[in-house]
Order: sequence, then structure tokens, then C-alpha cells
Amino acid sequence: MSTTTRKNPWLSKAAVNGALLLAVLYMLFPLVWLVTAATKDTGSLLSGDTFSFKGFDLSKNLSDIASYGDGVYFRWYGNSLLYAGVGAAVCSLICVAAGYAFDKYEFRGKEKLFGLVLLGVLVPTTALALPMYLLASKLGVVNTYWSVLIPVLVNPFGVYLARVFSAGYIPGEALEAARIDGAGELRTFFSIGLPMMMPGFVTVFLFQFTAIWNNFFLPLVMLSDRKLFPLSLGLYSWNTNTHSEPSFYPLVVTGSLLAVIPLIVAFVSLQRHWKAGLTAGSVK
Amino acid sequence: MNRSWSRTTLSIAGAVTALAVVTACGGSGDDSADGGTGTAAKPVTITFWGWAKGTKEVVDAFNASHKNIRVKFEETPSGNAGGYAKISNAIKAGNAPDLVSVEYPQLPEYVSQGGFQDIGKYFTEESRKKFLPQAVEQTTLGGKTWAVPFDAAPQAFFYRKDLFAKYDIAVPKTWDEFKAAAEKVEKADSKARIGTFFPDDPTTFEAMVWQAGAQWFKAEGDTWKVNTTDAATTKVADYWQGLIKGGLVRTDASFSPAWTNSLKTGGTIGYLGASWGGGVLGGTLPEQSGKWAVAPIPTWDGKPASGMLGGTTFAVPKNSEKAAAAVEFATWMTTTEDGIKARISSGTSSAFPAALSLRPAAKKAFDTKFYGGQDIYQVFEDGGSAIAQGWTWGPSMGTTNTTLKDQFGKLAGGGTTVPDAVKAAHDATVAELSKRGLKVEG
Amino acid sequence: MKARTRAAATLLTPFFVLFTAVMLIPIGYAVWLSLFTEQQSGLGFGGSETVFTGLGNYTAALGDRVFRDGFLVLLGYCVIYIPLMVGGALALALLLDSALARAKRFFQLALFLPHAVPGIIAAMIWLYLYTPGLSPVVSAMHSGGIGFDFFSPGGALPSIVNIALWEWLGYNMVIFYAALQAIDRSVLEAATVDGASGRRIAFSIKLPLIRASVLMVVLFTIIGSLQLFTEPLILNTGSGSAVSSSWTPNMYAYTAAFSRNDFGLAAAASVLLALTAALLSFVVTRLSGRKDAHA
Repeated sequence: MSTTTRKNPWLSKAAVNGALLLAVLYMLFPLVWLVTAATKDTGSLLSGDTFSFKGFDLSKNLSDIASYGDGVYFRWYGNSLLYAGVGAAVCSLICVAAGYAFDKYEFRGKEKLFGLVLLGVLVPTTALALPMYLLASKLGVVNTYWSVLIPVLVNPFGVYLARVFSAGYIPGEALEAARIDGAGELRTFFSIGLPMMMPGFVTVFLFQFTAIWNNFFLPLVMLSDRKLFPLSLGLYSWNTNTHSEPSFYPLVVTGSLLAVIPLIVAFVSLQRHWKAGLTAGSVK
Repeated sequence: MNRSWSRTTLSIAGAVTALAVVTACGGSGDDSADGGTGTAAKPVTITFWGWAKGTKEVVDAFNASHKNIRVKFEETPSGNAGGYAKISNAIKAGNAPDLVSVEYPQLPEYVSQGGFQDIGKYFTEESRKKFLPQAVEQTTLGGKTWAVPFDAAPQAFFYRKDLFAKYDIAVPKTWDEFKAAAEKVEKADSKARIGTFFPDDPTTFEAMVWQAGAQWFKAEGDTWKVNTTDAATTKVADYWQGLIKGGLVRTDASFSPAWTNSLKTGGTIGYLGASWGGGVLGGTLPEQSGKWAVAPIPTWDGKPASGMLGGTTFAVPKNSEKAAAAVEFATWMTTTEDGIKARISSGTSSAFPAALSLRPAAKKAFDTKFYGGQDIYQVFEDGGSAIAQGWTWGPSMGTTNTTLKDQFGKLAGGGTTVPDAVKAAHDATVAELSKRGLKVEG
Repeated sequence: MKARTRAAATLLTPFFVLFTAVMLIPIGYAVWLSLFTEQQSGLGFGGSETVFTGLGNYTAALGDRVFRDGFLVLLGYCVIYIPLMVGGALALALLLDSALARAKRFFQLALFLPHAVPGIIAAMIWLYLYTPGLSPVVSAMHSGGIGFDFFSPGGALPSIVNIALWEWLGYNMVIFYAALQAIDRSVLEAATVDGASGRRIAFSIKLPLIRASVLMVVLFTIIGSLQLFTEPLILNTGSGSAVSSSWTPNMYAYTAAFSRNDFGLAAAASVLLALTAALLSFVVTRLSGRKDAHA
């Protein structure tokens, strides 16, 4: 015997979808504002006609961004791609190697070591940035590409994820077979293990890429040479200039829009992978 | 064709060589450890960080006219918006530039941290005589000279003369008149206010108390006497608290979107600023050209009086080995007509030089179309000579101003009052100085 | 066997070398630095010297009302933010997971999109949306009679909570949704056959089954909250907001280092913050572990 709900099924459906739609409106509305605001010139932006297209001057905004500071914006873009792309790639390799090792090998103190890794996940990274800066300052490597690249290579959560992925994607038999064939351990890792857990590698890469792309505190503290700034820091520096130079406002807004688009495109097209990663992290 | 070409080439080569020989021989041979001021054949390159308006034009003009020194200019965020942190970081990391902009209030703190070097050797008594005494006073600390003053920044009151006329308001000469005018403005247009109290800019408030005769820091022997709650300050604090509580002034942050917006829409029709504000207004509100005018800042007794609101100097970080060249460049910027002309003709600067002899040149270079042709430099001149003497910036303005700024941020919601904010700043200052191991009284 | 141990060592070394360099050593250096301070003499214009001060910086930080207030701010922030975040993400995930939702892929993507926006940019966008005269939201509110000022002292906390919610709701929702999707459908079918309503299923069956995810999200949200820095910084530097320069402990450390040039104090503040995070994480994991044991 099944109970039929007295409520009109259409009403419930409307309620559920309506609630979700409201949430979507809340999430997307600031982004829509960003798009319309980016098309305005300084005067219209600051006079608050936000959702109209008054003062449409997108081409001027774009050309201002390209020309200001001899195209420093593109430099920032390149820097972000460098920090995030190279940083995430190397970091993922390191994490995957460590995760694989934790998963496939037995050795003394393994779980204690893994516990240390998990502890690392819990440390607030911003609390570390200042001491890192002071250390880097002492060593004289402050304000260099390394000062931002090296710290982002460490991702304890990535090691945890990699261990989960290694367990899920690489059956022990495949490794045994390789060993019987006489392949060395490292060779086995690179030619068999790594390819098998490629989805896991991509997931760790995506997460770390996003984290580095968004990273603000570390570069803020480490870098003072404008030419080394990632996008986040560059836009922030323009924003601080808006105080004395309102003409920076359109630069900040349009620059933000351009900065956000690639990530959105990446997330839309790579949905499969980050969903897999969040699944793995939550379910296991 | 070959022959004529090679002949031309030879003669050119010959001329160039001759020129090189001549300039090489004519160059200075200063062999001081700091690299001296260079020669045309071997120019000294110095790096310079600044944010004041018109700086790029000044640097270009200098580089064009000087062969012995090349200046590499990097525009940094303005001091309080990150410029100072950048300078401190660079000094600490050992890769600071050869010359930096630093405003008068921040100079003592850098000196006390050992960030700058004594430039008395290059910036001589002779040169110092050219400047306003109040400016030199503030760059001489502990008996040594630490910076080259650039501008004096007397206060001034910028206002919308068209709206003042429309609402039938007389330009206030005293603070009582200012308050009455504020009330009148609000009655005339409920959305309009006569001015703004900037919660994010303690230096505007400090200029006000300076004008009233306060002395927050007094150095006696080797003890700092600190008192930010003296009678003059209390008078000023109570006055502004009254204006804020009565809703007679806005409390937007300086140069924020809200402030700019209110200026554009007639929501704010006055700006209590300094000489350098003249060019800024023109740059921010080009569409209001001709509608603004400048008046002397209101005073307590109607007689001219002013504090200094900001104002820039140029200092040499301690690790630089090119102090001589740096000071030569700084002196050129601050004492020569070419220097001041290049800056002001850029259109966005209305700097009022601390060097007395430069005032006429500055006035001439400034385009007063925005102010309907008014001789605004005369207002600055009157303000400049009325700057109260004896004010000293303490070595802890970082802490003092941060505390003031944080406290002022709570004013809008009634979370604190101006007098309480000033008291908090006093306590924080005394604590900071004590923590550093200095002798403090107050 | 030896070959395997060597291989394990090789694969683990890069990570642990960097881990030591980037996490362990800086923490150690911070602790070391926090024991020293700069002292000046006379009027202070003769430079300064470094002096051992033991716990001096710690007493200075803990004795500084501004620093302590930062922790109170964090407490208030967590009390408001964590229930809203976890509850909101759960609610959205449950709605999405219910049989009644349509266009699930679209909703999931649209709700996640704000997370693709760097925190600093999200904060700047919302700064503009909070500014009267610039923001359509504020204008709409004013004409609707709501005179809420985002920049007032009372508005500081809600304005930051809102930005953080906007950035992270979608992310946490996806985590919960993935966990919900992993629930064995037969369990849910059995419940429906037994006559349980959608709401009953949600609360009595689905939620308990995704306990692990909920705890993980709570833990990471707490840790993230303790580090609050970027969003308040934007409001502090960009407006006449009541958010002060030392509104959170992280900001206090940053201001101590870069405005006051007091690195010993900054180091002490950072260490205290890290200790608090460690303590809280320990407590939360212990509590959840104990619950597991009882269940």
C-alpha cells in the first residue's frame, strides 16, 4: 500500500525548482553585473546605472587594459598561467607519486607518516605565508618567481586524494604482472601506475590549478615587483589605485571579467573531472 | 654610389668618435664610493619609486635634459594603499630603489627603523635654504637631514561655486560659519552636503588639529612627550563629532566610488583638501569644469591658519650606493623651473612647491580652466605662509594612523565618537613607543 | 623487498622534502622569530637592534585588545556562517537530489560557477554591489524602505558572510550532492515503498548516510573561517567600511608585519592562530570520532 501525497505534485515540483532557481539567481546575478559593468566607461560606472547599457565603451576598456603599463595585464595573465599551470602540474606529479607510494607499498611508520600528511591538511595556509615570507626574506629569495612557485608545490590533501585514486584505479595484479616481467619499481610507476590513475592526476591537477590561480595572500606577501604579479594581485593593485585615479575602475572591472572567463570555461568543459574529485574526497 | 656612401659613413663615424672623445674628457671624475653623479659617457642609472601625479612627465624631462644620470621610474600604489609596505619590504630584502617618495608623516618612522640614509652631505645647507622652513623642519630629525622636501601642502577649501550661489551660501571664513553653511546646504537640498569627513584618512583630521595649534609629539631630550588629547585636539574632535552626529557631512572614504559618485551628482558640494587636491578634482570631474572655486580653509578665529595635509618628500633608502645622483635628481625635481613645469603641465598636478622661488613658475604652468581662471595658487600661497610651526610627526605614525583609521571606520554607525577614537590612538601610540623601548611620557 | 622500499622512498622524497621546507621549517622559523623583538633608544632615530624577548611578543599580542577582538569576530563569524553554509549546501543538495528537480546538470553547474571566481575578485564585485550610489542592490533596498548599510559596524559581519556564502555554497553543495548520489538507491526505494514522504526520507535516511561528508565539510569550513583575510581586506581598503585593518587575527598579523614592521609580533600572532586551528581541528575530529563509536 502506498500513500499518495495530498499535495498537488505540480506545486511541490514548482517549489523545489523554484527554490533552486532562486539560488541560481543569487549566484549568477553578480556575474551578470560584472558583464554589464565591464562595458561601461568610468563616468557611467560610477553613476550607478548598472543594468543599462548607457556609456557603452567596451572597446575602450579592452584597449586600455591592453595598453596600460605597457601591457602589464597580459604579463599578469602569463604569470598566473605559469604559477598555476606549471605549479599544478609539478605538484600533481609529486602528490600522485606520494599517494601511489602510500597506497602500494608497506614500510615502517607508514601510517604515522600519513598522519603527518593529514595534519598538514589542517594547517591554515595563510598562517604559514607570513613565516614563509620572513624565511624567504632572510634567504634573499623574496620577490622572485620561486618565492611563489615553490610553496604551491605542496598539497597534502592532494596526497590524500592520490592515495584514494591509486587504490581505486590501479589493481595490484597489474603491478605484480609488471614485476614478474622484470620491470623496475619506478618504471612500473611511470609506465603502468601513472597512466592507470590519469583521471586522478587530472583531478588533483584541476583542484591545485584553481587553488593557485585564486591564491592571493601568498603572492601579496612575497611579491613587490609588479612584473611578477599574478592576475589576482595585479587587479588588487589596480583597485588600490582607484582611490586617487577613478579611471582605474573600468580597468579593474573589465580585467576581472577577463580573468574569470577562462576558469568558467574550464569548469564547464571539464565538469566530469572535478565532480569525480569531489566525489572521491567525500565518499571514501 | 658606393664611394659616396662610404664617404658619408666615414664622416659620420668620425664625428661620432670625436663627440665621444670630447664628452668623455668633459665628464666629471667624482670617485666617491657611492659612484658619484656619473658622466655622459658613463651615466649613473638610478631607480625611483613614486606615485604623485605628473611624475612620469618629470622623469622623462629629466632624462631628456641630463646625460649623466638616467632615471628608471616605477609607479607604485600610493603610500597608504600599499606603496609604503612595498618600500619597507624592499628595504628589508635589500633591493630597494635609490630614491623613493615618502610623505612627511611617514618619514620619521622609516628613519627610526634605519630605512633611509643621511643625505646631509649632498643636500647641503645651501640647498635647504631654498625651502619653506616648516618643510625643512620636518625632514631634519635627530640633527641629520633625511629627505628633500617637494611640496608644501597647505589646506584649502574647494567648493562648487555655482551651487553655493544657487543655494545662496556665503563662503565660510570661520568654522562657526562653516557649520552654519553646512546646515543651510542641507536645508536647501536634503541630498546635498557641504563636505566629507574621511574615515579612512587620518591625515586630513591631523591637518585640522595642526591648524588649531595642537602638538601631538614633542621631543624633549631623549623622551617623547605624546599627547593627542590636548585642548586644541579636543576642540577639533568635538566640532567634527557634532557635524557627523548632526548628519551635516558625509562619511564616505576618500576617493571612493561613493565619494566620487556624490561629487558627480551634486550630493557633495565641497572638499576640504590641500593644494594637491586641485589637480585631482580636475582629473576626477572633467565634466564639471568651470564650476569649482578655491577658498582659504576656514579657521577658528578668522585669521589665516593652516596645517599641512600630506605633502611629499624624496628620501634615499639606506642600501643605495647612488645617493649623490639620487639627491641631484631630487633637487632638480624640487628646485628647478623645468622640474616643476614638467610636472604641472602634465595636467593632473597642482603641486605647491616647498621651494619658495618656484611658486611663480608653478602658478604659470597650471591650467586653471577648471576653476574658471581663478588664481588658486594665490590661495595656496596665503595658506602656505600660515602653516603653523612646531608640529612634529612622531616615529610611530604607522601605528597611530592605523588605529585612527580603524576607529574612524566605526563612526558612521555611531560605534564610536571622534574624541574616543583620538584617545584610542593616543593609547596605542604610547604602547607602541614603549614596546620599542623608547622613553615615553603621556 | 629492498628495491620496493627504495622505490617508495624515491616516490615519497619530493613531497616530504618540500613539505618540510614549506610547512615545517616556516613554522619553526615563526616560533623562533616570535621570541625576538626590535628595540630602539633615544628618540629612536638611530636605528634599532634585535633583542631576545622570550614570550614578550605573545603577551603583547594577547594583551592587545584588538587581537583578542579578532578572535571574537571569528567566533561570531563561525556562529553565523557555519550553520548557514552547511545548512544551505545540504538544503540545495537535497533539493537537487530529490526526484522533483529538473535540469539537474544546469543547476549544479550554475550553482558552482561562483567558486570559479577568485576570492579577491568576488570580494571586489561585492564591494561594488555594497556601495551606495553604485549598486543596484542598495538602490533597490533603499526604495523598498530597507536602509541597511553594509559598511556600518553592524553590517560588517553580514557583508563578509554573504561573500563567503556566495563563493562556497556551490562547492559544498556539489560535495554533498555527490555523496547523496552515492547512496544505494535500493535503500531509498524501500523507504518510499514503506510510505515515507520525500521530506522524511531526506532527514531520516539520506542525512545520516552522508554524515562523513558533512563532518568533512564542517571541519574544512572551520579551518577556512579561521584564516579569513582576503574578503575583509578588500572591504577595509576599498571603502569607509567598519572592517578595520586588524579585524581578523590573520589581518592583525599582516598589519603587524607590513604596517608596523613588527615581525616578532606578526610571527607570534601567526603561531597563536595556527595553534587555535590545530586545537579546533583536534576537538572536532575527536567529537565526531566519539559519536562514531557510540553509533
